Amino acid sequence: MASQVRDPSWTNPPNNFESGSKSLSPDQRFAAENAFTSVLVNTVREVVGDALGRNVLEILTSKGLLDDANNSKEFDRKLQSLFGNGAAVLERIVVKDLDRKLGIRYNSEAGFDYGKSLETAKEVCLVGSRLK
Amino acid sequence: MSGSEILSTLLGSEVRGDLLVLFHRNPGLIDTVDGIARRIGRTTVAVISEVRELLELGVLRQKRIGNSEVVFLDRAKDRELLDSVANHLKTLRIGDQR
Repeated sequence: MASQVRDPSWTNPPNNFESGSKSLSPDQRFAAENAFTSVLVNTVREVVGDALGRNVLEILTSKGLLDDANNSKEFDRKLQSLFGNGAAVLERIVVKDLDRKLGIRYNSEAGFDYGKSLETAKEVCLVGSRLK
Repeated sequence: MSGSEILSTLLGSEVRGDLLVLFHRNPGLIDTVDGIARRIGRTTVAVISEVRELLELGVLRQKRIGNSEVVFLDRAKDRELLDSVANHLKTLRIGDQR
């Protein structure tokens, strides 16, 4: 009856993103950052919509939840104002989905920092674009 | 139960959030608690009390199939609860401290 869906043991990316992403030209960096923002916003939309339904997603979108979604502090503040402690639950699911899409290992046991997690994911995107 | 209380219950833990996403992405899913735990990469022990919370809220329902107790999404109740949450969120201003 049951079938396995998720393997929680994704592999960790290397920790040398900073040097890798610095070799991008300004145009490449701009394009890569836009690509990352697009993946992030799509992931937030999917997670909020799948957790709480399309009506809730549309209400939150109309209230500006996704405006400047790339700014993790601002997004966190908005989520906290709406969901209180539930904000952290949504953020963890966003990061888990984002990491899965980018092939980054997600460690549910480790301490969680939404901003740092997004920085790591963004660097993976930037390094990935350099290798293309 | 108010929309605010429903929201707090739905997002009461990361596992509960995972369960909501799993059932909303797979609304026809029918499985045992063991199977559901595997689907979200958790242990049965970690999931069982969270499933119970969602059963009490009414989002999930339980029935027996053969020798197994299985859990599934109550779509009508789920819609009703999420409508309450949506109505509650309509009244909030984003960015305000609660």
